[in-house]
Formats: sequence, structure tokens, C-alpha cells
Amino acid sequence: MNTLRTRLGTLARTTTLALLLPLGNAALAQDPPIDTGESPLFRGEQLYQSGSFVAAIDVFKTADGLDRNEAIVGASRSYAMLGRYEEAIAICEELIDGGDYADFPLVSTQLAEMKREVGRSAEAVAILAALVDSDPQGAPVRALVQYGTLLQFVGQKARAAGYLEGAIQRYNDGLVFASEDVAMVALASWKLDRFHEANSLFNEAIRANPNNLEAQVLWGDLFLEKYNAADAEQSYRDALEINNRYIPALVGVARAVGDQRSLQRAMALNPNSVMALQTYATGMMRSNRKDEARSALEQALEINPESLPVLSTLAADAKLMEREDEYQELLERVESFSPGNPEFLSNIADAFGNAYRFREAVEFARAAIDSDPTFWPAYTLLGTNLVRLGEEDEGKANLEIGFENDPFNVMASNMLKVFDTLATYETRETEHFKVHLSENDADILWPYMRPLLEEAWDTLTVKYGFVPEGPVLIEVFENSEDFAVRSVGLPDIGPLVGICFGKVITLISPDTLSANWQEIAWHEFMHVITLQMTKNRMPRWLSEGISVWEESQGRPYWGRRQGLDLVRAVEDNKLLPVANLNAGFTGAQSSADLGFAYFQSYLVVDYITDEYGFDKLVELVKQYAEIKEEDAMFRDVFAQDLDDFNDGFVDWIVGRVEEINVYVDDEDQPDEGEGHGHGIRENSSAILAELYNNMSLEQHMRARIEEQPRDFQAHLQLGIVLFKEEKFDEAKLHLQHAHDILPSYTGYPSPPLVLSQIYEREGNREAQLEQLRILLQNQQHDYSSAMILAEAAIENGDVEQTDYYLNRALQIDPYRMDVHQLKARYADLIDDTSLAVTEYEVLAKLDITDPVEAQTNLAEAYLNNGQQDQARRNILNALEIAPSYRRAQQILLQAVDATN
Amino acid sequence: MNNRELSTLNGFQHSAAILQWLMLAVAVCFTPALAAQGSADGRMDPGNYFRERADIRKYAVILTGPSVGEETTSRFRQWSFSLHDILIRDYGYSSDSITLLMDRGSDSYPDNSRVDGACDRQTIVTQLEALAGQVKDGDQLTLFLIGHGTGSDEESKFNIVGPDITGEEFAALLDNFDQQDLVIVNTTSASYGFSTSLSSEGRVVISATRSPAEKFDPIFSGYFIEALAQRNGDLDKNNRVSMLEAFNYARQSVDAWYEEQGRLASEHASLDDNGDALFTLDPNATEADGRLAEIAYIDVLTADDANLSPEALALKAQVQELEREVFLLRGRKADFLADDYWAQMEQLLIDLARTTGQYHEYLEN
Repeated sequence: MNTLRTRLGTLARTTTLALLLPLGNAALAQDPPIDTGESPLFRGEQLYQSGSFVAAIDVFKTADGLDRNEAIVGASRSYAMLGRYEEAIAICEELIDGGDYADFPLVSTQLAEMKREVGRSAEAVAILAALVDSDPQGAPVRALVQYGTLLQFVGQKARAAGYLEGAIQRYNDGLVFASEDVAMVALASWKLDRFHEANSLFNEAIRANPNNLEAQVLWGDLFLEKYNAADAEQSYRDALEINNRYIPALVGVARAVGDQRSLQRAMALNPNSVMALQTYATGMMRSNRKDEARSALEQALEINPESLPVLSTLAADAKLMEREDEYQELLERVESFSPGNPEFLSNIADAFGNAYRFREAVEFARAAIDSDPTFWPAYTLLGTNLVRLGEEDEGKANLEIGFENDPFNVMASNMLKVFDTLATYETRETEHFKVHLSENDADILWPYMRPLLEEAWDTLTVKYGFVPEGPVLIEVFENSEDFAVRSVGLPDIGPLVGICFGKVITLISPDTLSANWQEIAWHEFMHVITLQMTKNRMPRWLSEGISVWEESQGRPYWGRRQGLDLVRAVEDNKLLPVANLNAGFTGAQSSADLGFAYFQSYLVVDYITDEYGFDKLVELVKQYAEIKEEDAMFRDVFAQDLDDFNDGFVDWIVGRVEEINVYVDDEDQPDEGEGHGHGIRENSSAILAELYNNMSLEQHMRARIEEQPRDFQAHLQLGIVLFKEEKFDEAKLHLQHAHDILPSYTGYPSPPLVLSQIYEREGNREAQLEQLRILLQNQQHDYSSAMILAEAAIENGDVEQTDYYLNRALQIDPYRMDVHQLKARYADLIDDTSLAVTEYEVLAKLDITDPVEAQTNLAEAYLNNGQQDQARRNILNALEIAPSYRRAQQILLQAVDATN
Repeated sequence: MNNRELSTLNGFQHSAAILQWLMLAVAVCFTPALAAQGSADGRMDPGNYFRERADIRKYAVILTGPSVGEETTSRFRQWSFSLHDILIRDYGYSSDSITLLMDRGSDSYPDNSRVDGACDRQTIVTQLEALAGQVKDGDQLTLFLIGHGTGSDEESKFNIVGPDITGEEFAALLDNFDQQDLVIVNTTSASYGFSTSLSSEGRVVISATRSPAEKFDPIFSGYFIEALAQRNGDLDKNNRVSMLEAFNYARQSVDAWYEEQGRLASEHASLDDNGDALFTLDPNATEADGRLAEIAYIDVLTADDANLSPEALALKAQVQELEREVFLLRGRKADFLADDYWAQMEQLLIDLARTTGQYHEYLEN
């Protein structure tokens, strides 16, 4: 299984695949000789190729004689590029002029394609039937393939296969040469699930004619179907390099990587592109801008009433919003021209999956499979969504089926590889959680994760009065690509560090983070509550807003303190209306955008609890369990519509900004950090001040302060410069002033941090420690400061503070030896033998430089804790390495005496 | 056309394949070594060698060849005298149990009482014959070769004053010590070919180089002596340095030195202790080479205290013998079922702990 996946798991654009082709035609397909003259056909093709579609139409129309038919096809395609479909049809019909379709094979094929493009599939079938059935051997390859795909579309799958096979056979017989026809044979192979051959043939078509735009786009579509976005994008971009106005390629880029500029360009060039409209509508749907989405979809349907992607998008929305009648109507509509189409049901399953409605996604994926058991993408979809429900075994089984029959499906392949990783993981369980994690994390992280999870359960279930379905499955991945694949099926997920699916949570192991992993786990568990409370109907902004808000409730020093960002966003008018907050997530162009979307969502929740009380927040959450317009929900809970609510929120924000009362200068960069708010955020302006302390910067900052006394950044940067110049007293004044302006600032470096460094230089230990304590009141991601304070506390015999700061350090990095060594000392100090065992167990895993000492310490801890058998077993491990180690020998003899 | 792969997860597959290939290569590399032994498990029994008894005596011979240039001469001299002094100070040797033949002998170092003679063929032969007449069965002899070497394979030579001596010729001189346990530490340049000639069952042979192509003066010697000094190489906390520990300490230090210098290593130390003349770069007790070196200690029983009573010496020897049995059992771990192994190991370790306790109690009283 693994070997197969390795060899075939990725459909890659490779020239070597052509050598593996089982097809008979060994000759390299080539285009007919290019006309070197200045015929209208030649010039029209050149203009089409360069994207000058209007000019191309004019030139094509002037062609006559033998070029006439090809030129009409060119003109029709040019019209189609401009969205002038009726003219595209008319020009073909004028030429045929009621004659026999078989007498105009190229033009008739184009006519049929255009009819299909505008949702007249029955007419298209009739044309191609007349063309192909009258002379199957003489019909163009393109006609065979278009007929085959059309028959598949209208539910005549068995008949379709015959025509598609016929095209392939013609290639095998050595009768297909032109690049355009080879691309059609590739399409036939694709539609018969022969993906390997399709890949090779697309490659061959493009080698034969690198300017074959259609082949590039079809190849891209194939990659996209297999979730191979990178290669898909490359294909589309290759086409755009030749013709940057080629609409299918522009839309393809938008679909592959969400490039909005490409989509806008496509819609500007062709306002009637159904695919562009559908792609645009999908984005609007994700941003909860349903009116705009619906408008675009309706426009698309007017152009093509049989567009399956459009109809399935509408049907998915109807079903998601429980508009059953509308859904049934759409279903019947599809059934009328494409009966039993599994793709329709599969698209709806996908939409439900994207909306976190995994149970319904599973139902639709099953229905797609029932409709056509050979529709392999549905198995991958089914498996993926089952996994997100925690149904791992059944999920894996379906992924296996999907992969075995569609080995190029990157999502299936990736998901199965993660199962291979999970097979090496350990499972730990508590009353309410089942956790998969690596052996390393099981040994080192789990002792600290276990109590946190149960604390989160106890706290949040009581608070929200809701007990989620359990056990909650948590998977902690050491490898961020495994995490990403498990979460979304693909190895790149951006800056996320944890994802909740309702009953399943995926996390990146804290071993690869420099952030507070406890806060992240707490945040994700909060999603379990809100998602399950609303049957996964919660919009992302509110779910994230509550999770971030609950961070700040979990521990006083957790949560986000982004006062500067808030002031800057208000000044720049970047706050989103509450109704559009989801767009902050779906439309984020950078990690900073995404981070601010989280922060603003948190602010809305903070506003609700501050202004209306916590109970209203819970009431609002419960509203989302119902199918209602969001506006109605807000009216029911807050007695005002969303707009009024938003006005209140904006007023509240203005008040908060006034309360913060800080000046933000445009020349300063916003703080930057990874993990969308989890983790340290760097103040790049202040870092620059640390690196380049010069007179001009000092003068500049003084001038800024002169002008704006509440310029936090200027005080901070001036303080840093003065510190570097060893003008400690003046530096302290400015840093203290900066801290007074914005006491909750948590960027790096911060005033208390620099002040602590000054006091350290001055040898004022107590003042240094005091600044670190102030720092840690707001800053949760600083390991070193927590350790300094823990060491100071243990030196002073202050067990309470020692425990507190050690736990603060463990929240950042439980994988470092010094924190466990200190905690073991602390355990000895308070005579907590059980805690000592925990710490020495972890140290035994971490200490690879002196395993004998680590094992000996652990054995001694076991002995002190009354665990003689473990002590005896463990000390043997130490003595096996160092048989003469006296201390270990004595522990062995003690253990033997204790057990005998 | 481009040739792209999407998932970097494939990287794991590649890594695993390379690892598998390397493991196969290692297995192939060592197969002849195992086959050469002809015993049931493909290994000789180290239990017959390097016993720890109170009546066993240990001798050291340091042969330091001549050199050209003050810097090299000074380095060889410093290594030789340091080694001599360390053996006396930390390992319980006396001037009588160490033979130092260096350069031109008293001609070169007239005022140095440590030098016993010139490092020429005649003196070497004479001194080794005299030593052969002195040693008893089971005694231990350690030979250190410091200086330059030349040539390859059977033509490899240790540069001494006068005509150089080949590995074959030197091996013939060692035939007189077939009832003693031998450790040979050859730290010269081009030492590999010479060292292979000395390989024999029951001997630990350490070479500063692994191939005839490594002809530059090695720095291995300095680090080997550093491993012995103050027992720096003691990794298992028994306050003793086995030849395996000293070798590993020196080898890792050499690697680190070259890495720190940003240079490609021109020397790779290797060890053979199963008599097959196939030297291993990374010996350990579970591989073809390393089991004997692990129990080969060059310290004498009175190393820590020259005034131990016969009873104390007997107890100390008993402690060292038990420790040796632990090492031997550990080296054969793969031959046992886990429970049997740990049962035997525990009993040995308990005996060792108790005997060690008795020894310390005796000393305290």
C-alpha cells in the first residue's frame, strides 16, 4: 500500500510519464503545418492567441474558401471568450444554415459545445448524435469526445464510454496527430478514470503545441480535481503567459489559489463567464455575503440553466439553510437533464464539509456513492468527513477505496499517509478526552496536558451549561505538514496552530511552537462547546471570538492585548461590520489580517459580555442552532437588528480607543507574529532601535514625543536608544512612561523587558525581578523571564511563587530540561514525592547527555514514592550502562531490601 | 515542462530508503568479519581475555620514533612523556613496568630518566625479548606507537631510528606474548596497514587511521592521551577508562576538531578486537568489534592506592571481575530472552553492589 502511494500518489507534470503509456501511438503528435501566409484564418488565430478576441472575430469573418469552416469555429470561440454566447451559436448556425450537421463536422461540434455552454444540452446531444452516429469513423475526434462527455452529463454513462473509447482507439491506431485532438483524447481518458494516461496525453499535447491554451487549462483542471493546486496553478499560469486574457485560465488560477485579482479580471473581460460567476459566488458564500452570492448565481443560471456547479452551490445553500422546498426543486431540475449525477451530490457534501457540517457531508457523500459506486472522489470526501467526526476506522477504509481507484488524488494520498504517522503514535485517555500523540509527547507533554484538558472541560461545560458529545478526540502532530493534512487534506494550512471540527481537535505539538500551548488547547476546546451547541452551524467569526474571549477568562495573563492594533485599525477605518466579519477570515491576505480578524471577533464578544452580559452571549450562541437569518437572531437576543448592533459596537470601540488613549504614528510598523495571535508578536520598529541606536533616531524620537506626549512607540524606542547609550536614568523615565501609557503592551521588546535589562546592568536584582513580574502580568509567551523568577523564588524558599512561575514556563516549553530540573528541586523542597516522580520521568526522556544520572534520579524518586518495583527496574537501566556507579548501586540495594 | 511533486511527505520515504540502503551496506561490510570467526555466533569469546585478578601484572611499552622539525619532535616528546606520567600517576604503573624507547634514546634525552633507550630495531627487539621473559600467563601488555609511519599493507612501516620496521616484522616480535593480553595503540601516520598485521584473536588493536591513504600526521594520539588523563574518557562512571571508552573519546574529539576547523577529516581512527583484521570505525559491544575493548582496562589494581592490603586488593579484583562480567553479559544481550537477561543482570549487579560496598567498608575501617 505504502509503496503504491509513493509511486503513484502524486499526479505530477512529468515528461517521463509519456514513456509509460500503454496506448499504441508511439508517434509524436504534431499540429498540421502552420500557414506562413497572411490568410485571415492565420491572422485570426494569432489574434485569438494573443487575447484580441474582438479583432479576431472581425478577421475570422473575412476568411473564405477552404479556411471558412475553421474560421467560423475561431469566430465562435472568440465570441464565447467575450461571453457573447448567442452570437457564438448564431455564427455556426448561419454557416450550417439548416443543412446536415455531418457536412460541417467542425462547426457542428463547436455549435454543440456552445449549446451546452448555455444549458441546452438536449439540443447539443441531437447535433452530435446526427454528426457522430451518421459516420462514427469519419467524425472528428473532438466530436467523439464532446459527445461522450455530454452523454455522461445527461446520465448515459454506458453509451458515453463507447464514444470516449472510440476516440482513444483512434489515437492507438495512430490516427490522432494534432495537439488539439490529443488533448481531447486526454480528456476522454480522464473521463474514463484513466488518469495516468490523461496526464501523459496532456503533456504530449502541450509538447506538440506549447500554445495549446485549451490543453493547458484542461490539464490544470485535472490537477485541481486531484487537489494538486500547485501544479494546477502552474498550468493555468503557463496558459496566461501565452494569453493573459484567456478567461478559463484566469478563473482557474482563482479556483486553485484564490487569486481574487485574476477572478476580477476574468469577470471584467467576460461578465457572462459562468465559471467565473460561480467561483465568485462561492467566495461570497464563504464570507457570508449571501445576497451578492445569490445574485451572481442567478446571473450564471440565466446564462446556463444547466450549470451543475451553480445548481449544486445553490442547492447546498438551500440545504444548509434548511430550505427544503428550494432544495427539492433544484434537485428535480438537475434530475431533469442529468439524472443520478453523483457530482451534484458530492458538491453538496463538500459544501457541508466546508461549513463544518460533517454529519450531513457524510450523508451526501454516501448518497453520491449510492448514485454511482464508481464515482471515486465521493469516497475520499466520505472518508475525510468521517475522520473529522472521529470515525477513524470507517474514514480510513473509504479513503483507501478512494485512493486505490484514484491514486492521483492528493487528498486521499495525504490523509492516508497521516494514518501511517498516527499508527506510530500513542493514545492517552481521560474521562472526557482521547488523545493521539507521539511517544515523545506522550512522555513529556501528556503529564501537563491531562489536567489542563479536564480543567477546561469542567470549567467551560459548567459555564455554558452544555455537555458536548465525547470523548473528544485530540490529535497532536509533531510535524506541521501532518497537522495540515489531517486538518484540511493538504500540506499547507498557513499560520494555524490548532483546528476544531466539533468533536475532533487537531493541534501542532508544542515542541514545534513558541507559544502558550495551554491557551491554544483551551481555545480549541471552547470550539467544541460552541460548535456542538449549534450543531456546527456557528459562523466562524463568533466561534473564534468566543474562543479568544475565553482565553482571557482562562488565566489572567492569557488572551490578546492588541491595543495598538485596535487604535491603528480604527484610525485606518479597517474595522469590519459585524455582519461581514467572516470575510475577515476568508479574505485575509496575510497573517496580520487573519490575526486581526480573530481580535475583532474577540472584541465583539467582549462587547456583548460587557454591554449585555454573559447570558446574552450564550443566548446568541443558542440562536445559531436554529436556521434563521442572522439579523433575526440579533433582534431576538438584543432587540435590535445587526446594523444597530454594529452601531453600538462601533461606539463601544470608540470609547475603548479613547480609554486606551495612545498616539499611533504612521511610520511605525504593526507588531508581527506567527500563529494568528498565539505567540510572541515582534515590534520591528523597536527591534530596529535596538540594532541601530544613533543620534538621529534619538533626536527624531525626542521630536515625536515633543509633538505627541502619548506616543508610546517613541518613548519605547527612545528608552531603548538611551539604554544602549548607557544613559540609564533617562532611559528608565521614558520606558516607565511608555509602560504607563500602555501597561498591557505585550509586543517584543516591551518597556518592562527593557527596564529589567537596565536594572540587571545596574545590579539591582530586586528591581529587575519586579519588572519581570510586571512583564509576565501581560506577556504569556516569555519562557526565560518565568524561569528567572522561578529560580529567584526557589532561592527565597517561596514555594507558591516557584510553583506559579514554573507552571508559566511549562506553558511555553515543556521540552526543556532546566524547567523540569527546577521543578524536581521544587518537588523535593515541598516533599512531594509523586511530583518528583513525574519530573524525573520527564527528565529521563529529555536527558540524552547523561542518561545514567537521569535514570538514577528517577529510580530514587520511585523509591521515595514507595514505588519499589519501578525503582528496581529503573535502576537496572542505569547500572547496565554504569555498573560501578556507587549511588545507583546503593539505590539498587535499597530497592532490593524494600521489595524482599 | 516542469516536473513537480506536491507533497513533501514523500521525503520520509526517501529518507527511509536511504537508511535502509545504508543498513544493507553496513551489513555487507561486516559479514566477512563475522564469518572469519567460525564460532557458533560468529564471534570469539572475550571471556577468556583481560581477566581481573589480584596477581595479574600490567606492563606498558611506549615506542616513539624520530621526527624532523622541532614542532613535530616536540609534540611527540610531549605526548610520550605525558603518557608515561599519566600511567604512573593515574594507572598504578611504575617506572619499572613502563618501557619508553624514544628517538635516539639517551643521546637525544641525556637527562631524562624516563627514557629507557633508543627507538631502533635492536633496542626494540632486546627490550621486548626481555619483557617476554618477565611476564607470566594472563599478564597484560599495552604498546603505544607514536611517530611517523609510511607505506601500505604489508609494506607499512613504523619509522624508527635506522631501518624502519614493517608490520609483519613487529607482529613476529609480539608472537612471544601469546599467553598475555595485548593492547596496541598505533597512532602514527599511515598506521592502518601496519596495524592490520598486528591483528590477532584476544588483542585490541587501535589505529589512528582507517586506510593507507590517510598519510598525514594524525592528531588522534593527543586526544587518546587526554582520554586517559584524569580518566576523562570514563563514560560509565566506574572511575576507569576502558580501551573502548578511550577510543571513542579520542575519535569523537578528532571529529569535533575537524568540524570546528571547517576541514575535511584526513584521519579516521578504527579498532579491531576480534582478530579479523577488519577495523571498525564505530565499535561497540554489540558489534563485531568492541566487546573486548570494553573489558580491556590498562590500569593496575593499585592505581588508586599503592598501599592496599592483600585483602583489599583481592576485594578490588573481585569488584573489577564482577564489573567485567556485567560488561560481558551486556555484550551478549541479544542472545537472551529479555526476562532471562535482566534476571542474570540484576543478580550480577546486586553482587557487584554488595562487593563494592564491602570493599569501601573495608577501606573505611
